[in-house]
Amino acid sequence: MDCQCCQKKPAHIRVCDIDDNVMSEQFNICADCWIFVKRYLFDQERHLAPTREVLNEVRQLISSKESTALAVAEAPGGLAPTGKPAEVPVCPDCGMTLAEFKAKGRFGCPRDYEVFHTHLDPLLERIHDTTPPRHKGRVPAAGESDDSLVRQRQQVARLKDQLQAAVTQENYEQAARLRDQINALENAVDAGKAAPGGTA
Amino acid sequence: MSNESPDYFTHPLGEWLKGTGPDHDVVISTRVRLARNIKGFPFTGRADLKQRGDLLRIANEALHRVHLEKSVVTLDLQALSETERDILVERHLISRELAGAEGPRGVTFGRGEMLSIMVNEEDHLRLQWIKSGFDVDRAFSAIRRIDLALEKVLPFATSEQYGYLTACPTNVGTGMRISVMVHLPALTLLDHVEKVFKAAQRMNHAVRGLYGEGTRAFGDMYQLSNQATLGRSEEEIVSNVKAIVPQVLEYERRMRGELYTEKREFVEDKVLRSLALLRSARRLSVQEMMSHLSMVRLGVDLKIITDVTMNTVNRLFVTGQPSHLQREARATLGPTEREARRAELVRSQLATGTN
Repeated sequence: MDCQCCQKKPAHIRVCDIDDNVMSEQFNICADCWIFVKRYLFDQERHLAPTREVLNEVRQLISSKESTALAVAEAPGGLAPTGKPAEVPVCPDCGMTLAEFKAKGRFGCPRDYEVFHTHLDPLLERIHDTTPPRHKGRVPAAGESDDSLVRQRQQVARLKDQLQAAVTQENYEQAARLRDQINALENAVDAGKAAPGGTA
Repeated sequence: MSNESPDYFTHPLGEWLKGTGPDHDVVISTRVRLARNIKGFPFTGRADLKQRGDLLRIANEALHRVHLEKSVVTLDLQALSETERDILVERHLISRELAGAEGPRGVTFGRGEMLSIMVNEEDHLRLQWIKSGFDVDRAFSAIRRIDLALEKVLPFATSEQYGYLTACPTNVGTGMRISVMVHLPALTLLDHVEKVFKAAQRMNHAVRGLYGEGTRAFGDMYQLSNQATLGRSEEEIVSNVKAIVPQVLEYERRMRGELYTEKREFVEDKVLRSLALLRSARRLSVQEMMSHLSMVRLGVDLKIITDVTMNTVNRLFVTGQPSHLQREARATLGPTEREARRAELVRSQLATGTN
């Protein structure tokens, strides 16, 4: 059965309208359109609208998005007047691009807020109805946070990679040493104490 | 990490089900949620399985290093069955999204089911505190205590400009969402709900269905919550909710009163028919149960019904849900069997002389 939203892909999700305990209508839609519909309901606060109306609105939105997405795709990054591609910000930590964020509505990592900050402010102003969009609440007390748990976990992960490499290279002496180090570190973490030399 | 007892899943202990607390005639519960992420990792949606595994371990270690509550339960959601995960959703301990996600993820909650901490939801940590009735102050101070304890052992991702950084920009800043679950049968009967929603929206508050984002309202239950998380302090968000929600409560109460004085026969008829149906039905769908329970709840408040307690009604809203029935039966039930079991449960709970 084809999706009743995009009318292209096979439908896997059924949406039912219930009015006064009676199912009035049902619709079959595909997983991709469902993601759109859910975002749309949330963003537009249309939970109580009949699904038929919502699907019509989403269909129009998708078709308008497809045309703009197409235009963007045809000119990757957009050509600057000099003929050189304009700079497109990409997050050095997680590889997120502005186009991907716009499509998903979710960031990839905390650094994205810094990378996309010029594009972000108008969006935040709209979402939170505040100008300029600046935090007013509390922030964690400076210097108070202890990141030893994170560091230890990252150290264990590093040692495990080294252990894997040592085993592959059949360097069993090194592997045994690494295994003991990992065990010591994990025991210390589990016991809730700082590991000996845990900051290495 | 403690293990749950085998029958744990069939016995909801949620304090919020008590049907007590301020304004319990209209408000079921007040929930305050904080979104937090740990520095040095991508957000859950972009983290690979190994990173999510590391995050879960870090979070669980931190949660057990800190004194959260006298007794907590930590569950590895990958190790649970689908039914067990759905039970946690029906009890509002985890979100539908977390139940249906993949990869390492978990939940830690207190025995009273007031505190719940989801790990690897959209954000690394989602801390929530639920109180029975309209009790923003207590829920807020309880969850702040947890937040302060956790920030000593976990480096949270923040920025000076944007506060607590979250996967979705709708949560950034304080990361705080206050949701008040309200029962609005009179406003629904009189078709005033849309009006309330629009007014709430104008004041930057959102109205959602019972199970949150994208869900429809069942049993005339709605969630009122703050929309904005940035540009206001936590205290301002608290006082805004405390200014707006009571207006909705007053409106609902006024309509209940009007219904009862001006359309007494109509209300009594609706309420008592619903009670009679629930006390006699041999098969009940979940929607049918919830809409009639809604009328019974209204009847209890208006004292049309005197032999049923608010607590019984509130509990049925949870124990009559599909996964709770499934678990209680310890078997996979088909839809018809489930409807029969649900009717049986409702009959036994509402039987005269049991309340």
